[in-house]
Amino acid sequence: MNVVTSLILRQMRTPFIVLILGYSITILGMVLTPGIDDNGNPHHLSFFDAIYFISFTATTIGFGEIPYEFTEAQKMWVLITIYITVVSWFYAVGKILSLAQDPAFKEATKRNSFSRSLNNIHETLVLICGFGETGHALVHSLTGRNIRAVVIENDNDIIQTMPLLDTPKVVPGILGDARDPEQLLMAGLQHKYCAAVIAVTSSDETNLKVAITSKLLNPNICVICRSEINEYEENMFSFGTDFVINPFDTFANIFSMAMHSPSLHLLYDWLTGVSNADLTNPVCIEEGHWIICGFGRFGQALYKHLNKHDIPVTIIDPSEERREDFLSKSENKNNDFILGTGFDAHTLTLAGVENSVGIISGTNNDSNNLSIIMTARDINKDLFVVGRQNKVANHKLFVATNADIIMQPSEIIARKIRTLLTAPLMIAFLNKARHQDPEWANIAVSRLMGILGESLPNIWTIYVNPDDAKALTQVLKLGRVIRVGNLLQDPRAREKKIKSVALLLKRSNKLLLMPTDDIAIKEGDQLLYCGTPDAERSMKWTLNDIHSLNYIMTYEDTPDSYVWRKLHMLMKKNERRNRARARQQKNLKKLKK
Amino acid sequence: MNKEKVVFSFFMVLALTLNFGFYVGEVANPAHHNVYELFAVVTVNLIATILKFGDRSQMGAMLLATGLVALVQLISASLVWTFATQINGTGLTPDVMSTIVALSGGAMVANIISVVLLMIETAMMRH
Repeated sequence: MNVVTSLILRQMRTPFIVLILGYSITILGMVLTPGIDDNGNPHHLSFFDAIYFISFTATTIGFGEIPYEFTEAQKMWVLITIYITVVSWFYAVGKILSLAQDPAFKEATKRNSFSRSLNNIHETLVLICGFGETGHALVHSLTGRNIRAVVIENDNDIIQTMPLLDTPKVVPGILGDARDPEQLLMAGLQHKYCAAVIAVTSSDETNLKVAITSKLLNPNICVICRSEINEYEENMFSFGTDFVINPFDTFANIFSMAMHSPSLHLLYDWLTGVSNADLTNPVCIEEGHWIICGFGRFGQALYKHLNKHDIPVTIIDPSEERREDFLSKSENKNNDFILGTGFDAHTLTLAGVENSVGIISGTNNDSNNLSIIMTARDINKDLFVVGRQNKVANHKLFVATNADIIMQPSEIIARKIRTLLTAPLMIAFLNKARHQDPEWANIAVSRLMGILGESLPNIWTIYVNPDDAKALTQVLKLGRVIRVGNLLQDPRAREKKIKSVALLLKRSNKLLLMPTDDIAIKEGDQLLYCGTPDAERSMKWTLNDIHSLNYIMTYEDTPDSYVWRKLHMLMKKNERRNRARARQQKNLKKLKK
Repeated sequence: MNKEKVVFSFFMVLALTLNFGFYVGEVANPAHHNVYELFAVVTVNLIATILKFGDRSQMGAMLLATGLVALVQLISASLVWTFATQINGTGLTPDVMSTIVALSGGAMVANIISVVLLMIETAMMRH
């Protein structure tokens, strides 16, 4: 029995007993009280009549005196009856209402409906701890890709707004502390289809605790954590966390990618973005003097990258401690550290903003960042601006400043996690692509551009195994050769190509970037494709439908039913016989000649 | 002493004794089976069953089940009685009477099981 029914039953025990006692006493009294019939003979109500009478009296319906008009004695008893039964009804109804208002009961019903909706999920499921800005962005992009999400969050106000979420599928949310293992289990940690736990709460400590709990209670699960402090990051890895994402390091990597190979950055931007969004334009970052305002975790991560490539940097930060720490290190000797906030023209001029190529406004305060951007742009119009946006709500303001790159921690984490979950091969692809020469990225970008048109592509992975590619494996087992290019043929018109590009082929441990069309596919391969949503549908069709695959390979539509198959074989046999006969006759003619 | 146990045992045993009182006598003879006693059995059984609502122990669940069985039998018996006297108008013929008594006999078996379960539970508790 679940908690809610047992709660109701336990609470309703007394009201029910009061009702039954009230009914039985009054019914008995009705039967025992003597009356007279219409002829004046003594008459007693039968039990049936009494139950009937009490039922309509107790519920205040009141059909009247049956079967004969009551005597004075009976009227007496009816008076008592009315008060006993009506009052006991009020008591029972009041008890039910007060139970429905009880906070403990409400909580129990909520938990009950949560676990019911959890049990009704029969597809891949991701448990998200913390429903802040990152959690929000993740839930939207995951449900858009047919992955179900469950949220555990410790802020009741946020949980209250969850039913109003505009997502393709319902996202069950539960109020709870993710640090408590019991609550994580309740939220579906050991759910049959739970594939990953994502800890994106604002506290590194909570994220660490979630990682430990998840790895201990469900070792097969993939654990992804957000972390902003390095010690926690190492600790998380030591507990077997699969991925730890630091938004500042991640952004610093992206930034250096943009600096050294704009095409590669563009490739990254396209392939990890939300599908159907507009294609973005490449950013060009010139080399020269840079200014970093705010030397916190974000500023330091970027500084490391700039300094590694010997780019001159001036830092503006109000903290003296940081300044001393900075100046004491020998690798920083070429660079300046100015004490100040950076949103006044004086400090900026002191840092040499007139002759700089770019400025990074990386404080943890959005108003400061905005004013730094505005002031710097006033002084130097051609400045390349990187703005750190801390709050999602301020996005419009940052766009209005025309900053060249807007760094939004929650967006960066959501993007990386989305890629990890929906296309794990993409990370391998991007890592390998980083080691190619810039020319390679240019070619890749132009190839993608030719196929995609205006909007960002869908990314999908093909696992060549009997579950995911039924027809393909079947045909491969027969020894036929299927090439990468064959899968790009349209199953509706095989001379046409679907709008898709093969990005990566993974065979055991070998990775092949942009596999060419003539490579034969083997069972066990993993292929990463990108393309239009339509192309994805077509390819899935080819992979799983034997007729489509046959059509692509042979131009023939094979029959399905038993009778047609026999007929087809007969026809083929006849055809072959006729051909053989014709050949024979030809040979005969030749011989005659 | 557990007050809940005392109250439940009281109603349970009372249900069994009343049930027995209604059941004994010649099967087909209406004079041996009192309508007030049947009414009392139904009421007491109802209370005994409701007292087991929301009890999440294994024994509680078993007692709830046997109580519900007894109720089904007793309510059918009273429905047969009502049908015969009020709706069909056949009166309490030997046929009807033996059906009613047979049903109440079945209810008595369920009530005996309840009481046996109650005794087992009491015996298992050593304090």
